[in-house]
Amino acid sequence: MEELQTDIKEQKTVEVKHRSKYHELMSNPTARTILSVIGFVVILCLFTALTGGKIIEPSNIKLLLSETYVLLIASTGVFLLMTMGCIDFSQGSILGVSSIVICYLSNYNIFLAILGGMAIGAAIGAINGFFNVKRKIPSFIVTICTMFLFRGVCAFLTTNSPVYAGENIFNYNTVSIKLIITIIIVLVVFLIFHFTKLGYNLKAIGSGETASRFAGIKVDQTKWIIFMVAGMITGLAAFLNVIKVGSVTSTGGNMLETEIMIALVLGGMPISGGALVRFSNIILGVFTYKILSTGLNMIGLATEMQQLIEGVIFIIVVAIFSDRNSTQVVK
Amino acid sequence: MNEEILRAENINKYFGINHAVNDVSISFNKGEIHGLIGENGSGKSTFVSMLTGITPIDSGKFILNGKELDVKNQVEANRNGISIIVQETGTLSGLTVAENIFLGNEDRFVKHGIKNTNAMNREAQSLLDKYGLNRINASSVIDHYNFEDRKLIEIVKATYFNPKILVVDETTTALSQSGREELYKQVKHVKKNGNTVIFISHDLTEVLKLTDRVTILRDGVLVETVKSNEVSEDDLKKLMVGRELNGKYYRTDYGEPISKDVVLAVKNVSVPNEIKNISFELHKGEILGIGGLSECGMHEVGKAVFGASFDRTGEVVLEDGTQIDSIPTAIKHSIGYVSKDRDNESLVVNDSIRDNICLPSMDKLGKNHIILNKNLSKFSNKYTKLVSVKMNNINQFVSDLSGGNKQKVALARWIGRDSNILVLDSPTRGIDVKVKADIYALMNKMKEQGKSVILISEEILELLGMCDRILAMKDGALSGEFMRDPSLTEEDFIAKMV
Repeated sequence: MEELQTDIKEQKTVEVKHRSKYHELMSNPTARTILSVIGFVVILCLFTALTGGKIIEPSNIKLLLSETYVLLIASTGVFLLMTMGCIDFSQGSILGVSSIVICYLSNYNIFLAILGGMAIGAAIGAINGFFNVKRKIPSFIVTICTMFLFRGVCAFLTTNSPVYAGENIFNYNTVSIKLIITIIIVLVVFLIFHFTKLGYNLKAIGSGETASRFAGIKVDQTKWIIFMVAGMITGLAAFLNVIKVGSVTSTGGNMLETEIMIALVLGGMPISGGALVRFSNIILGVFTYKILSTGLNMIGLATEMQQLIEGVIFIIVVAIFSDRNSTQVVK
Repeated sequence: MNEEILRAENINKYFGINHAVNDVSISFNKGEIHGLIGENGSGKSTFVSMLTGITPIDSGKFILNGKELDVKNQVEANRNGISIIVQETGTLSGLTVAENIFLGNEDRFVKHGIKNTNAMNREAQSLLDKYGLNRINASSVIDHYNFEDRKLIEIVKATYFNPKILVVDETTTALSQSGREELYKQVKHVKKNGNTVIFISHDLTEVLKLTDRVTILRDGVLVETVKSNEVSEDDLKKLMVGRELNGKYYRTDYGEPISKDVVLAVKNVSVPNEIKNISFELHKGEILGIGGLSECGMHEVGKAVFGASFDRTGEVVLEDGTQIDSIPTAIKHSIGYVSKDRDNESLVVNDSIRDNICLPSMDKLGKNHIILNKNLSKFSNKYTKLVSVKMNNINQFVSDLSGGNKQKVALARWIGRDSNILVLDSPTRGIDVKVKADIYALMNKMKEQGKSVILISEEILELLGMCDRILAMKDGALSGEFMRDPSLTEEDFIAKMV
């Protein structure tokens, strides 16, 4: 009996040590990247096996890529927000409203349509920024509110029938246009994140807001701008969405915010942002997520079942990658 | 009385590759006050946090009354008769005073699953009264009380159940004289009951006065355990640092005139509930001290000069007429500020040393707004070397550093920025003699370069030793001014601030 007790005791101490080693590992950016690369490879292998190699056939990869543009672009904006420790649940509704605006304007001029989509995205971002910065409401509450608000707007504008874009809209649905827009956005965000003062400021704000203020960073201004930028980028993503689909229904952009968040976290991003954030989080995460969701689709699972599995994976990955150093809650 | 109560056997702790506590074995006797001293980062706090279950032990064991101790958190430590008063705030905000005192021991007030709040409050109040703290109301929320009162409440919390071992970790730095007296009284009381106190402090005078024996740690290694009545302060310093240290680290020059050039003028600055109508001028190459009791508003003056005060009226003007009204403006015009609140304001602790040093200087580090990683590394390597930060590399997070090294990083950032005016709020608080001497040397160097320093401090000796001119503050207003003078004494100054 006594032996048993000491046994249990030993086990417990081992557990404590193990946890702190693990904590150390997860504070190492390289280790986090390696872990998310492993995640990517595992999911790729798993679904290659499950689909009998179908998922890596060229035709499928092409299809997968064509479905990735919108998520990839929208993720870059949210990535900047989440680096500061903010969160944005209104992304899906921004995509919806922007798509409607783009559809309307595409009847007149395509460039006007793009600009209009980006402008409405930025405007919704500005609303988010106003309540977060000026009224000091945590971003997740503000953006949940705006999510419901603009989902409502979306539903209202599409009550009678879907909104259709101009007839010539499909002319723009070429791989080169989509690829160029995506590459430009990803590249610009990459450069901003790595080679400008703004990039470093974002990480600092995510690591500690008060201390960032005392280091001379204009925290409020930065937040407001990034909320607008994230909205604007999603407005541009809405354009790619419209040229592919040609119309918007009341569910346009549904669940985009969740997809973005799952993708970023799968890529190794700490949900509280800060200094452990890496740009590779976006790319790795988006592709891991797309392979996961396409794969689940291909093996013939019902949509409800897919959601369930995605949810389980999300919570596991959040638990692995959350940054236990920063005790602060998401702002 | 030399009966052993607690023995530490070969305790080890690693943080990454940093061997924070290295094979330390200490024996503590019943009824003694045992001092634990060492420089910042020597492993004192880590050692006691392992004893109290806050940090897990890597290897080694603590033996209490002949039995191996196995505690995983502070509540379990309390049940084993060990309690701790920590360095930083140890009370939980949002809870009442009574709830804080009985945290983890609420069970004694619970009957049939229902907590008897009244009984808890009554008991807490009678404890507070017993400690002579009847001005504190047990049922009010703890946030009503200031830092010092909260520390006193922590003392009650840590001692009311007659612990066998009481750990006091660097608590006195946060307390005023009367608070310290209260703490000394309680510490002696614990001793009188035949129990043991482990006392950590940087104030060597206090350590020698209070303790029976002192153990010195250096770089995580036990140097020696000595009897307090057989050593002097200088002996302790020598043991701590490992080399002879000049007892005088303050300035020795007197009578040098200050330049007539005014670099910064503060005009009728007020902040509601904090300071009223403060006006003074800062001269070129001057070290200007501001002193007073902790609550006198002097910390707010530092913030006001840096443009960090909320709701400020009045003016802070540079020699060229520039108004300082926000932090970015202040930094742009070469003002630096090291806050008293190191972990929340001075430094982004969850970010790398490199980024912390570079943040205020980003606009100078880039060409055409393009910032290259290697330039940041070069810059921060240069300035961490200049102030000799003890670290593994610049990519390490600031949260891994000890208090003194954190402070060095905070200073390196402003030296790197080449600040002409530096506001230092309590720069040597909770910092060992060696780093203190380094900080004073840096201040002197800035003075020689014609730069100006505002030193805000609760330590009067530091002000007398370092400043060209000292302003005394009381209840949010200026109450006196002293010029540098060898005949100026602590008493002269205290008379103006109390």
